[in-house]
Amino acid sequence: MPAPSSSSKAPAERIRSHFADTSKRRGLLVTFEGPDGSGKTTQRKLFKTWLKSEGYSVRTTKWNDSELIKPIIKSRKATRSLSGEEFSLLHAADFRHRVEQEVLPALWDGALVIADRFLFTALARDVARGLEHDWVKALYEPFLWPDIVFYFSVSPKTSSQRVSALRVPSYYEAGQDVTKVDNAKESYERFITRVIHEYEQLATRFKFVTVDAEQPIGDQHHAIRKLFRQSEARPWSVENTPAYVEWLATRQARQ
Amino acid sequence: MKAAADRLIALDGINGLALGVRARAIASDRRQERPAISVWDASGIFSEVQLATVGAGDPSARTLLLLYAADLAYRVRAEIKPALDAGRLVIAAPYVDTAIALGHATGLDAGWVSRILSFAPVPLRRELIEAPPEDAIGDRRGLVEFCCRQLFGDDELTRLDLIARTNAQLRRP
Repeated sequence: MPAPSSSSKAPAERIRSHFADTSKRRGLLVTFEGPDGSGKTTQRKLFKTWLKSEGYSVRTTKWNDSELIKPIIKSRKATRSLSGEEFSLLHAADFRHRVEQEVLPALWDGALVIADRFLFTALARDVARGLEHDWVKALYEPFLWPDIVFYFSVSPKTSSQRVSALRVPSYYEAGQDVTKVDNAKESYERFITRVIHEYEQLATRFKFVTVDAEQPIGDQHHAIRKLFRQSEARPWSVENTPAYVEWLATRQARQ
Repeated sequence: MKAAADRLIALDGINGLALGVRARAIASDRRQERPAISVWDASGIFSEVQLATVGAGDPSARTLLLLYAADLAYRVRAEIKPALDAGRLVIAAPYVDTAIALGHATGLDAGWVSRILSFAPVPLRRELIEAPPEDAIGDRRGLVEFCCRQLFGDDELTRLDLIARTNAQLRRP
């Protein structure tokens, strides 16, 4: 992580003091990660309802969902015309745009942001596609590290069964661009095994809070509440300073 | 960057019109090498950005450079590599250096831009196409002017300043 340059010292101090203010609730970033079919979306909705009942101001951001870039990705996915690099770069652009437009402003205002998938999704999927970990990671600089990462752990078999019960996986979801297997379900099972392998390495390296997503929905939700309570008092991470410095500088230049 | 491509010429500069003129001149001079010209936004990504709805939000310099990298990845896959593999001369205008200079001028780490574009083959020759910054203003064919307009809209003075700083970066040895 590069240290902020001397020219950014003043904004860096402003940012630190903003988040050190204990008179008001500070912004929190909670991310939900895991393979398809792990129940993230169900848990995210339950968690959001509970947080609101507890008085939190809650915002949600979802993977590949920016108004600017989502249509670009969608049209190229429909024609199956993306290489691994293009897929990865467009998702990184979508992520950056949402971080700057939605996530950082909300955190600055003291909201709790729930991200349904975050940069770890790219690291798991893109590396499973054969791209280099360090190159993919660089696309997400300057990093915005979440306060809590809930990782919904399921086996490849469970993920495949749950997804297959609902739909035929789409071409890129099934990883058919890399497996070259014609049958989408068969391809999905192979691809998700690689994705889960990457996730498990990331879970150890980045200290994810693991939720056993094979358990009943209610049990998972109560576990998440408890784990959140144990983690929410963590101090703000100064490693996030460069992301805020850049965002504030861009905002100021445009004003 | 990937291994050197001995039939790839990179043209970089702030003026899209001037880049196009020079690319066509090289192509004409070396027509026996069946030259292919690869220009930015061959993927159509930036044309789609321009059509985005008002509420979509203005992309930052970093987002624009990630989009440029996606466009260049498309050009490398669909235009540059196939032409090189077929033994043709390829003229890429702009290529990597324009993006690095633009990134640096907007305050981004030049090393970061280089890293994200590291998939692009190293060209045999790089050429800087000089042009006065004033001429680049309003040049909608240029990557630099397009990005400056996305960043600063109708604020011509700020756009001109950024174009001039990009030019200065490109001219540095």
